[in-house]
Amino acid sequence: MRAFLLKLGATVLTLGTTVASAAYVTAHLKNASAPLQPTVLASQQVGPVGGLTMTPGVRQGDVPPVTSTYAS
Amino acid sequence: MRLSPAPVEFHHFEALGTSCSLFGVGVSRTQLLQGEFWVRELGTRITRFSEGSELVALNRAKGKWIAVSAEMEALLREAMRAFELSAGLVNAAVLPSMIAIGYTRPLVEGVTTAATKEARPAPSLADVLQIETGRAKLESGCGLDLGGIAKGWMADRLAAQLGPNALANLGGDLRAVGPGPSSEGWPVGFGGATVMLRDQGAATSSVRRRRWGELHHLIDPRTGLPSDSGLQEVSVVAATGCDAEVVAKTALLLGPGLATAYCAAHAAAWWLS
Repeated sequence: MRAFLLKLGATVLTLGTTVASAAYVTAHLKNASAPLQPTVLASQQVGPVGGLTMTPGVRQGDVPPVTSTYAS
Repeated sequence: MRLSPAPVEFHHFEALGTSCSLFGVGVSRTQLLQGEFWVRELGTRITRFSEGSELVALNRAKGKWIAVSAEMEALLREAMRAFELSAGLVNAAVLPSMIAIGYTRPLVEGVTTAATKEARPAPSLADVLQIETGRAKLESGCGLDLGGIAKGWMADRLAAQLGPNALANLGGDLRAVGPGPSSEGWPVGFGGATVMLRDQGAATSSVRRRRWGELHHLIDPRTGLPSDSGLQEVSVVAATGCDAEVVAKTALLLGPGLATAYCAAHAAAWWLS
């Protein structure tokens, strides 16, 4: 009789936990439409098309170029 | 106080189907002419338009191993590296698509009838090309076009061959080595500005040139058709001319949404249009 009660208690506890978890998750759905964090969003934005970007590894000059890069 | 610039020896010529320019400080005229000879001689071996070229022999080997020169082997390895660096977007195995759109001969001779319905996504270069010391094998039914990779690769080597202070520009793919004429770098036109390049390369990839009707030569290997990414032209400064060529072409194929992020990771300067 005691063993049966233990099994019954464990089963009820398991089922209860499952139901409670499902209810909690359902009530706290992640909003798929929530905006991304700014840093993530920024990396997906369209770049400065038509713009020139230079890192510190390249220096702009004020002398006439001897040649240029171009499409051929 | 700015030092007066050192005299620059230069030489312009037409080769590889485009305009080429060589510059050097402390470089003799003979060296520049030898540079032109090197470009012409190697160009005849790596073009897809000449019956006697090594590239045509590889394209027609029907899956058999063939012997390749040291330069050809290095160039093929560079094409494989470009494939990896670009996550497959710079794929030399787009030749069947180029033929399908009518780019079957040098554009000065005109294009042939396009059959875009026959264009297919390019196979993975890593799956169809094998390279070993002194030989290479291309799977039957595939074809390679080394195009811009060859120009960037050659510009890198030629600039180094000319001396410690030189610049080689092969059709817009260029490499500058050394401090330049004023010890501030080599002044190069780039995206409407002048940048001072020192041990760096630059290149431009564009769909505005080499185009006919609605078609152009820049194939997107994912579709086998001319790129329609939304970008028209990309110029890049990178560590070498070949790297610049690969990054510029990859950014153009990625389109405006991802080009900036890709360039920020791989380039020292970039211009998108």
